[in-house]
Amino acid sequence: MAHTSNMRRTGSALIALSLTLVLPLWAGGAESKLTSAASAASPASAAPAPLLQPGEQGGRGLAIRAAKVLSVPLKGRQFLDNAVVLIKDGKIEALGPANSTPIPAGYEVLDVGDNWLMPGMIDLHSHIAGTFDINDTVYLTNPGCRASVAVRPGNSRLKMGLAGGVTTILFIPGSGSNIGGQGVLYKTGAADYEAGLVRDPGSMKLAQAGNPERYLFRVGRSFMNWNTRNTLQRGVAYAKRWEAFENGEAAQPQRDIQFEVVRLLYNKETQISTHTQIYQVVNMTLTMVAKELGLPVYIDHGTFDGWRAGARAKELGVSAIIGPRAIDPPSSRNFRFSGSLSARIQGCAAGYQEAGLEMVGFNTDAPVIPQETLQLQAGMGGRYGFRCDELQAVRGLTIVPAVTAGLGHRLGSIEPGKDADLLVVTGDPADPRTSVEAVYTDGEKVYDPRVERRRW
Amino acid sequence: MRLLMNTRNLGLTCLLLWPFMALGAAAPLGLALGDDDEKGKEEEEEKESEPIPEEDKDAYFALLNADIYTGTGTLLRGAGLLSKNGKIVEIGYEILIPGRDYYADIEEDERDFRVEILDAGGMRVYPGLVAISSSGLTGASGDFRDSIDPFSSNMILGLAAGITSTGQGRAAVKLKRYISQDPPLAYDFDGVVLSSKTYASMSWSSSSAKRTLREKFTRAAEYLREYHQWQIDVKKDKELKEPKKSGVDGSTLEVLKGELLPRFRADERLDLLGIARFAQEFGFRPVIDGCREGWTVADELGRAGAMAILTARDRRDKGEELRREGGSSIENATLLSAAGVQVAIVPSSKGISLSGIVGRDIMHLTVEVDFAIRGGLSERLALDSITRVPARMMGISHRVGTLEVGKDCDLIVTDGDLLHYETFVQYAVVDGDLVYDKQDELYYAHIRPRPESSLAPEETLDAGENEGSQDEDEDDGDGDGDEDEEKEDDEE
Repeated sequence: MAHTSNMRRTGSALIALSLTLVLPLWAGGAESKLTSAASAASPASAAPAPLLQPGEQGGRGLAIRAAKVLSVPLKGRQFLDNAVVLIKDGKIEALGPANSTPIPAGYEVLDVGDNWLMPGMIDLHSHIAGTFDINDTVYLTNPGCRASVAVRPGNSRLKMGLAGGVTTILFIPGSGSNIGGQGVLYKTGAADYEAGLVRDPGSMKLAQAGNPERYLFRVGRSFMNWNTRNTLQRGVAYAKRWEAFENGEAAQPQRDIQFEVVRLLYNKETQISTHTQIYQVVNMTLTMVAKELGLPVYIDHGTFDGWRAGARAKELGVSAIIGPRAIDPPSSRNFRFSGSLSARIQGCAAGYQEAGLEMVGFNTDAPVIPQETLQLQAGMGGRYGFRCDELQAVRGLTIVPAVTAGLGHRLGSIEPGKDADLLVVTGDPADPRTSVEAVYTDGEKVYDPRVERRRW
Repeated sequence: MRLLMNTRNLGLTCLLLWPFMALGAAAPLGLALGDDDEKGKEEEEEKESEPIPEEDKDAYFALLNADIYTGTGTLLRGAGLLSKNGKIVEIGYEILIPGRDYYADIEEDERDFRVEILDAGGMRVYPGLVAISSSGLTGASGDFRDSIDPFSSNMILGLAAGITSTGQGRAAVKLKRYISQDPPLAYDFDGVVLSSKTYASMSWSSSSAKRTLREKFTRAAEYLREYHQWQIDVKKDKELKEPKKSGVDGSTLEVLKGELLPRFRADERLDLLGIARFAQEFGFRPVIDGCREGWTVADELGRAGAMAILTARDRRDKGEELRREGGSSIENATLLSAAGVQVAIVPSSKGISLSGIVGRDIMHLTVEVDFAIRGGLSERLALDSITRVPARMMGISHRVGTLEVGKDCDLIVTDGDLLHYETFVQYAVVDGDLVYDKQDELYYAHIRPRPESSLAPEETLDAGENEGSQDEDEDDGDGDGDEDEEKEDDEE
């Protein structure tokens, strides 16, 4: 059915004259729904073609038609029905209604039928991109430490994450230290580190409470607040010395690898991802880091009764990336230290949303929650009161984390010029019943259950 | 068509039953009425008439205007259900309710029945869910009568998750809460336990365990053969002594007689194959808890009549040295079902978790099932996996697991598709008693409150979809017939 209608559409798309001779070359191509515009004319004696997929860098164009495209730009119309997305050289070229968007000659046309197309999901709190020795607690304050050196591209957990539709993660040091080091933004589907690198440092990891309290000398929260302020203030002073040097106002300062990341923070080229939760601690993240020091920061975890600081987060323009805990329940005996006295089962994401904060996203803290179930975090947000009537759950998995991590120009939505990191899904991505039918990274198909033979 | 016929049949049943029901109920009442007329004249005597004790009254529960998913594959839209003393007596249309449609003129304090009517207002009704195993839902352990806590908050959360029956240890129990009412009713301790022994535990964990098992089954089978022979021979020679039961394991015997299902704990392919062969050799149906690699040997398990208890999100990579398929698969439930293996589903955590991490404990039973659907399982089999299949596995399917006349009135009323992640259980009913009302409990009352609730927002929310959800030009021009893309699979 789909196949015949594909053919008809292909014909009507005025690309029958295409001279392209390349047939789908990858495994499973024959049984996929791909139809080549010129397949009838492609002889077996075609010139040896480079092993490039349509859509990827250097390959020919790819046009994907879908019943629904969840484009989720930061502002404006959030989705299109019966739409087509054009992909060329790993980037999204155009998006429009299927009946009025011309498909250029030579483009491979892929019809995903009743499935939906959406941007790849982004997880801003993950520990599964590499080795697990990134939570050492040798130094309490370690901004120079880099998670990027521990990446193991294509490891089995990354692959599972990919099968679950997670295309980009922020791989960060653990929260055993007050300032644990630098995270790296990395694409899960990449074959090697260079191809997968989105940005290093992806963030500076700050852990304001909780886990560092288990540190060797049992540091308390007041000490950590002092230590954070002290470190960041010195870092900002360092950044200002470099700024003065770059403006020709001062001599070149001595380079200090511990503070280099603060220069980037000062210049708003990266952000502080903060392990912060419980109202009092979230409040400190907002008042000290965001307001007093003026550094780009976002709430990571933000759980227990952290949502009570939602209105302040909105006021300061700070995003909240919620997880792995999704609810603040009454009488959670293990967590009395939080001071939370919820009288009901309060959804954490819902709490921020009710306070007016729009920039609410979701994380897994993988492997705490398996990387592939990032979508469930949004679903559970919805279950516990997070309103999803304007695709907020989808946004919380895509554009919200993208913008939060300073990648709004590259990732998180289906808009011309952005990376073609796309998912073909069977429906509402927050619904655990929905499965991922294909994953594209930079226009290249990196997951296909028919090829992998194993689904997630 | 079939629905219409059902309607007619049910209507007919209703008409046929009506006189008998009326007679049955009228006999004692008729006397009461006769007395009443006389007593009306003598006011003094009226004071002497003893009120009927609550326990002696017939308890009716009626549910109206519901889309009833009976769990047998039938959906009755806008239908009703009536239970009497905890058993379903009618499901269908135009149900006559005592106190409303007849006996309405009898004063409430003179009735020998009480009736509770719940208007479901178009919500959905499903059989109460059956969790094949859980811990802590009843607050009880060991002797239920001694340790059950009918006020347990875990029981409330269990009911909120839609669970009305569960396996707990070897027993199957109901989530029966204490109903506070005036005048008070005694708590029905005896009604809690559906079955005190739901399965025979079998170990397949080591070679010595397997050897012991074989010895047990060999001896029990030998005894059964002797016994059957004796049954034949004793007719000729009445003096013949019954064969001795020495060395026969009781549970094993029950398994071979088909009175009890054996339960194995196994995950790996070779173990699963071994159990399947063993079961075929001795002629019984094994229930396999875990069954991680079941999908790789689904046909063999299906032929052995095996049943499986599994966790859809079970995750274990296969050993890298293995060339064959192995490890966990999200498609496990799908492939097993396709091979005829009945599947019950449980989350990885069997208790109530209030740590804040959600979606994988018993409170999220339906979420676990959703992942099986993600792996291809049909919605129908998904519902079975948390209703009638676990009921069968525990030998309690004559009472719970589906909504049918004669079965226990254990049901849940939901505000939407049970398997949708945003759906909440609005009401839970156990043995015809309303034991959970979302708006009356502190946990979820504030989340999407029912419109009639005081917590509901003042203004009625527009029922419309998202802004700009509709295409400006409805005609998509491609004539591919995919205008049905939205929510078509909402109902089966």
